[in-house]
Amino acid sequence: MSPRREVIVASPLARDRASSADRAVSTLVKGGDFLFVSGLAAVDPQSGERVRGTTASETRHILGNLKQLLEAAGSSLDKIVKVNVLLHSMLEAPNMNEVYARFFPDPPPARTVCGARLPDDAKVIIECTALA
Amino acid sequence: MTEKLPRSVIEPKNPRLNVSRGANLPHVPGIRVGHYIFLSGMGPIDPETGERKHGPIAEQIRTTLSNMQHMLESVGSSLARVVRVHVVLADLADMPEMERVYCEFFPIDPPARTAWSMQLRFGNGCEIECVALAS
Repeated sequence: MSPRREVIVASPLARDRASSADRAVSTLVKGGDFLFVSGLAAVDPQSGERVRGTTASETRHILGNLKQLLEAAGSSLDKIVKVNVLLHSMLEAPNMNEVYARFFPDPPPARTVCGARLPDDAKVIIECTALA
Repeated sequence: MTEKLPRSVIEPKNPRLNVSRGANLPHVPGIRVGHYIFLSGMGPIDPETGERKHGPIAEQIRTTLSNMQHMLESVGSSLARVVRVHVVLADLADMPEMERVYCEFFPIDPPARTAWSMQLRFGNGCEIECVALAS
């Protein structure tokens, strides 16, 4: 039996930001036993607006939202198996780590961090794969 | 007690799209494990010639996603079974053009996606990889 594919959370970007209306991205897709979460940039959970802050504050926003997102889907941060963190500058890695460490249990999930040029002037983008 | 998951190599029906084999690179186009398909990062390759095709970014994205579709359909999966995509662009300024073409390929219930920009090899304007469910 082939596993079921289901879009659990459609992208709020398409709804909240006129300029992104054509974004063909789902925020959270379930495939079999795994949840696949799109790369998240910092967004205010109340207004849905992009938050532009420091690397630390953007990380805090993203992981707070990721926690809610996963829990709403019946999963949680401690069911994450792999995280990818993209930073606008690798010099910011310690600032990201300091916030990041507070969100995860010991032992935390597998993770990769790399420096890249990020869309929408984001300082941080975080994506993950979790157990459903 | 754990049952061993079957693991197999994914190859395109069009052999010209088997770029890694053609260029003697140490990777395969994709691997299937159980019900999951993991494709290697793909650049814009002309399916007629097997050569890199560096036109405008919209064309490069279209070529790459068409080839990804071919790769998945070669093993009985499809773009509609994709759960995660990574889109890497050489130039961040190409993001809007990428969006424009990308949504043609994923019109409903699109996969999770992360897009960013970093250095790419061979002068490619884009590289795209995905995880999909087998049929």
